[in-house]
Amino acid sequence: MQRLRPGPVAAVGAIALLALLVPLFGLDNPLHMDIAHRLARPTLAHPLGQDAYGRDVLSRLLWGARVSLAVASSSSLLACLFGTALGLAGGFLRGPVEFVALRGMDVVLCFPPLLLALLVVTLLGPGAATLIPVLAVLYLPGFVRVVYAGVLSVRNQDYVEAMRSLGAGRLRIMLGTILPNVGGPVLVQLSLAAASAVVLESGLSFLGLGVVPPAPSWGLMIGEARATMLQAPLLLLWPCLALSVTILALNALCDALRDAVDPHGITRGRRRAALLERLAPGLLPQPGPALELVGLTIAIDTPAGPIHPVRDVSLRVMPHETLALVGESGSGKSLTGLATMGLLPPVARVAGGAAWIDGRDVLRLDEAALRRLRGATVAMIFQDPLSSLNPVQRIATQIGEAIEAHGASGARAAWRRAVELLRHVGIPDPERRAHNFPHEMSGGMRQRAMIAMAIANQPRLLIADEPTTALDVTIQAQVLDLLATLRRESGMALVFITHSLPVVAEIADRVAVMYAGEIVEQGRVAEVFARPLHPYTAALLASVPREDASLPEPIPGTVPPPYALPPGCAFAPRCRLARADCASGTLPLTEVMAERLTRCRRWSELA
Amino acid sequence: MLFVLKRIGVSVLLVWVVATIVFLAIRMVPGDPAAILLSQGGVAPDPAAVAALRVQLGLNQPLGLQYVEDMRRLLVGNLGQSLQDQTPVAGEILRRLPRTLELIGAAAVLAVLVGLPAGLVAAMRRGGTFDRIASWLAAAALAVPVFVVGTLMVAIFAQGLHWAPAGGYVSFARHPLRHLVLLAMPAATIAVGLAAILFRMTRAAVLDVSMRDYIRTARAKGVAPRRILARHVLRNALMPIVTVLALNLGSLLGGTVLVEYVFNWPGLSGLLVDAVNARDYPEVQGVVLVISVLFVALNLVVDLLYALLDPRVRHG
Amino acid sequence: MVALSRREWLIGAAALPALAETARAAPADTLRFGLSSYPPSLQPWANTGTAALTVKTLLHRGLLMFGTDGKVKGALASSWARDGKNGWSFKLRDALFHNGQKVTAEDVKWSLEQIMAPTSTAYLRGQFQAIASIEAPDAKTVRILMKQPTVTLPLMLATPFAPVIAKGSLNAAGGIGAGPYTLTAQERGVSLSFAAFAKFYEPGHPKLRAIHMPVYADENARVAALQSGDVDMIEYVPWQAMAGIQKNPKLVLNTVDGPYMALAFNGGTGPFKDERLRQAVAHAIRREEIVAAAFFGRGTVLEGLPITKSSEFYDPKYAHGWNYDPKLAKQLMAAAGVPNGFDCTLLSTAQYGMHLATAQVVQQHLAAIGIKVKLDLPDWATRVAMGNRGQYEFCVQGQTADNNDPDGLSAYIDGTLPPDNARSYHLPTPEIHKLLAEGRAEFDPAKRRAIYDELQRVAIKVVPLAALCWRAQGYAMTKNVHGFTNMPGGLNFYSGYSLENVYFG
Ligand code: SF4
Repeated sequence: MQRLRPGPVAAVGAIALLALLVPLFGLDNPLHMDIAHRLARPTLAHPLGQDAYGRDVLSRLLWGARVSLAVASSSSLLACLFGTALGLAGGFLRGPVEFVALRGMDVVLCFPPLLLALLVVTLLGPGAATLIPVLAVLYLPGFVRVVYAGVLSVRNQDYVEAMRSLGAGRLRIMLGTILPNVGGPVLVQLSLAAASAVVLESGLSFLGLGVVPPAPSWGLMIGEARATMLQAPLLLLWPCLALSVTILALNALCDALRDAVDPHGITRGRRRAALLERLAPGLLPQPGPALELVGLTIAIDTPAGPIHPVRDVSLRVMPHETLALVGESGSGKSLTGLATMGLLPPVARVAGGAAWIDGRDVLRLDEAALRRLRGATVAMIFQDPLSSLNPVQRIATQIGEAIEAHGASGARAAWRRAVELLRHVGIPDPERRAHNFPHEMSGGMRQRAMIAMAIANQPRLLIADEPTTALDVTIQAQVLDLLATLRRESGMALVFITHSLPVVAEIADRVAVMYAGEIVEQGRVAEVFARPLHPYTAALLASVPREDASLPEPIPGTVPPPYALPPGCAFAPRCRLARADCASGTLPLTEVMAERLTRCRRWSELA
Repeated sequence: MLFVLKRIGVSVLLVWVVATIVFLAIRMVPGDPAAILLSQGGVAPDPAAVAALRVQLGLNQPLGLQYVEDMRRLLVGNLGQSLQDQTPVAGEILRRLPRTLELIGAAAVLAVLVGLPAGLVAAMRRGGTFDRIASWLAAAALAVPVFVVGTLMVAIFAQGLHWAPAGGYVSFARHPLRHLVLLAMPAATIAVGLAAILFRMTRAAVLDVSMRDYIRTARAKGVAPRRILARHVLRNALMPIVTVLALNLGSLLGGTVLVEYVFNWPGLSGLLVDAVNARDYPEVQGVVLVISVLFVALNLVVDLLYALLDPRVRHG
Repeated sequence: MVALSRREWLIGAAALPALAETARAAPADTLRFGLSSYPPSLQPWANTGTAALTVKTLLHRGLLMFGTDGKVKGALASSWARDGKNGWSFKLRDALFHNGQKVTAEDVKWSLEQIMAPTSTAYLRGQFQAIASIEAPDAKTVRILMKQPTVTLPLMLATPFAPVIAKGSLNAAGGIGAGPYTLTAQERGVSLSFAAFAKFYEPGHPKLRAIHMPVYADENARVAALQSGDVDMIEYVPWQAMAGIQKNPKLVLNTVDGPYMALAFNGGTGPFKDERLRQAVAHAIRREEIVAAAFFGRGTVLEGLPITKSSEFYDPKYAHGWNYDPKLAKQLMAAAGVPNGFDCTLLSTAQYGMHLATAQVVQQHLAAIGIKVKLDLPDWATRVAMGNRGQYEFCVQGQTADNNDPDGLSAYIDGTLPPDNARSYHLPTPEIHKLLAEGRAEFDPAKRRAIYDELQRVAIKVVPLAALCWRAQGYAMTKNVHGFTNMPGGLNFYSGYSLENVYFG
């Protein structure tokens, strides 16, 4: 959950507060008529003029805000609440619930809004109390549909299935998993509904189906101003203006809310390359390595200042070599991988350092050059192959796209090559499979397809971000085998991002252990595993289930978030060996033995 | 095949439920068609004349009998006659419906042409100048009631510049050019609000989709931004956009009253409102029934579109 | 996307006005008249609204009609006279129906009998029950025998509610009439077209070859159509647009005081059973504010029964019987035992601006003397139903007398008639009923005047309705439209009679 931006909240709050505090302003009685001065222009006593009955427009506008906002917000919230519940229930429980929820909405939609309003209002009598349920019913189908569609699209996704198989209660799945995923569209719908509620209120008030005159409401004011709109256009302007400002504030709030609940976590922050970094490029690399990171630091700007989820990461990967980047979630290993590709999410930016791929500093390339590099020289595969594949494109099309993006071959040639690649990654019957959509394949098959896509242009470097985490053990082994084979055959370098030490042991030549945004230890896999030189590595190793059936020892506590790093050694709060001096000063990554680096003051006690 | 049959069955059920609700509701609402017809202009008719008219119109029969009669008539596709002047309701709807459909269609095309690209650009340049201006405009467009937009258009283009007549309708067959001139302003008026809604939805959907993992994958492949936009973002964003568009088109079917009034466009919504005001039961029932059938058809089209847009729907 | 050059744009823009012209061109001898609503039905004898009345004045003629001076004049009858104590006889002129048949006494007899029939839905059905028999002694003579002497029969027959149609020609679409125009085309809800009836009885009439009547239900659309030249003439000019039309040098506004606004009361239950409280209400309203707020100053304060100033029965003595006098109102309330006011509900409708505005002003003014008024504002159809059933304590009325004779007010002030929406509910007025009956049977003008003086005196006391104001009823037309007469008072909605005189000049 991101933090909510304060601007829109303040704007909506101010409008609501204004409406609440109206009685304290000592305004004219909004009902008091002064027909001698009907349609009078603005004066000092009546800053916005007087309406067709000589009533003070400012006073009516502000008093009207209470009625209009109350009607709009309660009706749209009511619709949102019931609509979301119905949509969730219908989409998730299916069966008769689905039928009743959807068809019931169809019945509502079959009634033109006006007729519906007329029927209800004539039966219940006009007034705000009737208006709220009427409008709520009118907006209900919108919410039900949006939520239902959202539920449909996530209903069959792996993680929902997984939760279901884990025995999570339906309610918990609905609230915890699906709701955040449909949050965005629902919020947009909410802002649209609230806005159109006020406009519709004016239409209904105009037809005598809304707020009962002479009580003020924006809708009534708009309706009343219609008769005189050519004589006194200002009367129309004020409520419309009030309404559009309110809509804008609501829209902004919805945007902000959506950002805040969005699981993908984007904010409006835009990427800015620091000027200094442009002027002082990193050191020239030594020739040879497929990837060299020098002091890579990533920043995320927050209202409270920048935070640094990745700090001073340096490493080098040679051709033919596999480097594993290991750490718990939140350690910054995935961000490091994304930064190397130039694919950081818009919130994050590179704050320092350099990343050399094949002799070029990718952090200083423009987007076009970077694009030529991506998918050709360097490729990446991701953790969740289902969400990482476009659901509406055929597999071979998606693979072919990678080929076409870097060569002039036509679509048919690309397709043929895609089929070949599918065969190469061990997909049986590739000619037929090429036509499949991602949802028609198994998880392992999808990951093979992702790999085929990544190796399509024989990259020099392949970054694999938890490529086997979502797969079961047998498939996992097959995919690892495949990656190892491919690397052997092509001589590409492989950066393997994972949290699983057994996987590291199986595939990597060297390992870099990350903790809280920093590399804490680096070295050859066999050496590091046999003799860790950092307490964290040791703890990680101890937490892995072992063959000798001795109990694994979990590491107490969690990784500190980047905005709450402890001083000194970041691992100190969880470290068995920590001493008072660990919690102060800076700790460099030091090469304490040949090709063995560690960031611990007391490494020697482990050795 | 079974699926199709089931769908048709559900649709028939839906239409029947709507017909029944309308039948009951319109008669539950106070107001007597005979009294209204004979007391136009504030004068009052002889109560005996009203009673005589009620007998003529069959309004004195028990409700149950009227319902059975109505349903039997509907079964053979007869929508009945207007209580006001005995015009066959079906014929009147057939005359009015194409005009409303044309109006909505033209408005939808205009709104898509404006709202979709604007939403796309605003999402791509989120927080930028265009996004801000367009968001302001959309908020204003949503805040300004449709009759204001319409009246302004008439004031400017008809009364001020004399570019077009203030309103009215001529059939395309009779006078194609004139027909289009008369269509332009009301369609544009409806399109203003619709475009604002589409803009909001497009912007939101594109932002949503561009955050998906598969967009990152496409970028990781080095696919050009233009192609990412067209093949990945837009294609996947279309689903919610189509949903919202369809919902709004559906509600426009009976909801273009004010525009029809302002531009004197004799469409279905105006007919419905007049019929409700006159408590012309068969006409109200006929119009709502036709609207619900159209709505069901619209749903079917949307479902087909879904299947076209999203293979997961096609197979699941 | 086609890219237009700037030049092409300019050409396009220049072509637009021409385009608009092609969109509205009409032949020079056709009057384009913007109606305010489409006639819901063209049944010849039923009242189906003012638009229908206008159309019926084109299609039909009865025995008599109203001339431009507001006097009864012969239509299909060339002359008429009292015939015996209870009878009237009418001499028919040589007139033809639209199908070419001669208008005969038989057709007249048949038509009038349809109005009287037990299953009739005619507007004059009730009043025609006073007819004993109708005779057609020869093809050119019609005798109507009343049950009592009736001086007002010609007034009834002159309204467009009693047209003569060819015997047996009644059908769902109307009937075959003998009016100045024939219906050539109609598109339901959109427009009606008429062509001059070449064999109309009055030579040289109608003056225009054709009339086209498009319907503009929205008042602003109607005005816009006139101002942008889509039509030559409109009815029911909205009050807020009148000033603008007067300022426009190409247009003429023609207004007279026609219909009036009033309050009707429920005499069966609630506070207004007490006539003192009805009087209090009548004295508590500053009527000029209703004229200002509801009619933009286009109307006249009305403090007595709605009898026009031009009427011979107008009496200044009673014309201000309900003058604004809040002190008197308070006294009346004190006398009725509610010195500090009371709560009550005012029925009106939000569907029509003038009803809504009137209700709001009345609410405000009654609040000033302590009467707390709650507004009940359903849609018009519900309002009519509630009016008919007496579901109100008092209500806003907007109506027109049937004609400018005090007898034309019968339906609105005679509480002894069966209850309906037009008048106060369950408010028996035996004195008024008796006086109206006497006036109807009295042929001597001086004696009639005395009767109606007494009627006005009684009405001021009983308050069968509390009149509020006359409202100006406006027609607007382009400068070159001549010959139209906007008739005052109760005749206002019959102004369509003068369309046969209209010509372009
Ligand atoms: S520096 Fe101190 S706290 Fe940090 S890992 Fe080494 S021993 Fe533990």
